[in-house]
Amino acid sequence: MTSETRYASAVRDEVRTLPKPYHEAIEHWQRHNFPDYPKLAEEWDRFFPKDEPFCLCAKIAEDIPSEIEVGERKGEEKALAPRELPEEAAQHLLTAIKAQASTEFGSIQQHQGTLARAQEPQDHAWALRVMAEELRHGYQMVHLLTSADWSPVTNTKASDMVEEILSMQTGSHLLAAFNLEYDSFLDNVVFAAFIDRVGKYQLTMQKISAYKPYASSMPPMLREEAFHLAAGVIPLRRWVEAAARGDGYITMSDIQRATHKWFGRGLEMFGDERGGQTNVKFGLKDMANREAQDMYIDECQRMYDDLNERYVRARFPKLSRDDAEKAFARIKSGETVDGVGSEDLLRLPDRRFFRRRGEFAYQMVGTHGGAFTDVEKYIAHVLANLPEAYRASIDVKHWADLQRKVTRGETPLKEAINSMPRLARVGGGCPCAKSVRWVQESG
Amino acid sequence: MNELDIEGICRIDERITGRYRPDVWEQRTAYYLRRDPDSSQVAEVDGRVVGFMLGEVRGGEFGLEEPTGWVEFFGVDPSAREKGVGRRLIEALLGHFRSKGAHVARTMVASQDKEIASFIAAMGFVPAPLTALEKRL
Ligand SMILES: CC(C)(COP(=O)(O)OP(=O)(O)OC[C@H]1O[C@@H](n2cnc3c(N)ncnc32)[C@H](O)[C@@H]1OP(=O)(O)O)[C@@H](O)C(=O)NCCC(=O)NCCS
Ligand SMILES: [Fe+2]
Ligand SMILES: [Fe+2]
Repeated sequence: MTSETRYASAVRDEVRTLPKPYHEAIEHWQRHNFPDYPKLAEEWDRFFPKDEPFCLCAKIAEDIPSEIEVGERKGEEKALAPRELPEEAAQHLLTAIKAQASTEFGSIQQHQGTLARAQEPQDHAWALRVMAEELRHGYQMVHLLTSADWSPVTNTKASDMVEEILSMQTGSHLLAAFNLEYDSFLDNVVFAAFIDRVGKYQLTMQKISAYKPYASSMPPMLREEAFHLAAGVIPLRRWVEAAARGDGYITMSDIQRATHKWFGRGLEMFGDERGGQTNVKFGLKDMANREAQDMYIDECQRMYDDLNERYVRARFPKLSRDDAEKAFARIKSGETVDGVGSEDLLRLPDRRFFRRRGEFAYQMVGTHGGAFTDVEKYIAHVLANLPEAYRASIDVKHWADLQRKVTRGETPLKEAINSMPRLARVGGGCPCAKSVRWVQESG
Repeated sequence: MNELDIEGICRIDERITGRYRPDVWEQRTAYYLRRDPDSSQVAEVDGRVVGFMLGEVRGGEFGLEEPTGWVEFFGVDPSAREKGVGRRLIEALLGHFRSKGAHVARTMVASQDKEIASFIAAMGFVPAPLTALEKRL
């Protein structure tokens, strides 16, 4: 029955394959950066036997409105080619597509590092599927870069743009969240719960894009993103329950520290809190940065309420659901109930904590929102709240140095915001042989 | 429906069946979320999930070649019943089925489940020219 009971709803997407040199470049990139990809087919048969097989292809949704939905040119025809957009809009869009591409490939490199440390076969299969779908998203972005003429806004050839993206490594990507190494499989999961959630917001905002090929790319990606979030939240729910029973290998404090590592980087993916109006004006997004970020924070709060409620229920297995919900409400409001207090639960850090970009960059605000005046005390506070393995990283050292210099007035804030740590492994072409490109134009 | 609705669905199931089965609902919601996250629905009142309806479009089952919208799991919190929540959920679900190319929706109801049978009948479903058969092994 398996092959006949397949998901029929995808029939509405048009499937496209890249021209051979680009398709091969991505496959070649996969062999070096995502060596576990071949395991997918096997795990698919075991964990997703009735799902349509994975397809490394671009998917174009039908039924996308032809008229611009927001902004100054609302009601006019959407652009089918970059030259039909105002030049500044096309520039913004190109930057967004390149950034999106960098995140897709970047997250695979991060996941690959700790994938093998998944303890549960299902967790492994889910993370592997997430990675494969990120590869498809990267493929989709390459399709957008190579199937249109971007010469009105760049002198760089499409093949060179793709080459640049495929040459990025953890440490040389465009956004900080994609330049942090994972310390353990906990990071694979926390990343899916927090960083893929930002991805969901970004893609949702761009469903209305005034550039129709981009708008048409969003629905298939968003459907995949829904699973990525589940692949984050469901393992967290189970770990929290195990932690409450006392038989877990991941503690609440481990999850809390990982949250401190990722949350600020996720907030910064929205862009500066005060910006984003230009994208709305051009009809490229339907929300400015702060508005989207506020919604994101609320949603993360709901996720943490959910995890905490599950924790409390598991701590008090004899209570009825209603009584466990009451106990949770009391603990949340600050009471201690049978030895469980709010410090035992997970909490989102203050949005200003450990920030390096945006409105709150380098303001010294603690996890609970308290302000610090002494930079050394602040650095000690941040370090004490980060995962141990991350504390010793180049990234944290770079931040601490900048935090000191900004506080002492030695480095202008703007310079600190734009400073990216130069991590050890900075990109290059395909490592098979020196100076060989990923994209072989003659191939 | 999304991954943050799981506990709300567990709550309703617990009110109906008396059992707390988070693992079961995590597996089920993950199944629908990875195959067709748009179709399955939850109803919320004041930010709380009071009803859910899970299903998807599939073709080929029981030799039924046409794409079929399958209505598979649903429940409304006992305190929120008979206010049209079930009706609105199924209407939303069927709307998605239609937009995905299905011209028919199907479901299966245990014959002793009078409540569900009446609801399904009130929603315009009629007995299909198929008989569910089984044999104990
Ligand atoms: C069946 C169920 C979903 C109905 O939800 P609801 O929100 O109360 O339904 P609505 O208020 O939208 O009612 C819709 C229609 O169904 C009919 N209906 C609903 N419950 C009924 C009942 N118990 N007896 C007779 N008819 C019923 C109503 O008469 C109504 O028709 P109308 O609009 O023409 O008057 C709900 O009772 C339920 O969750 N039952 C348990 C489900 C279960 O066991 N699920 C587990 C298996 S997956
Ligand atoms: Fe992605
Ligand atoms: Fe994702």
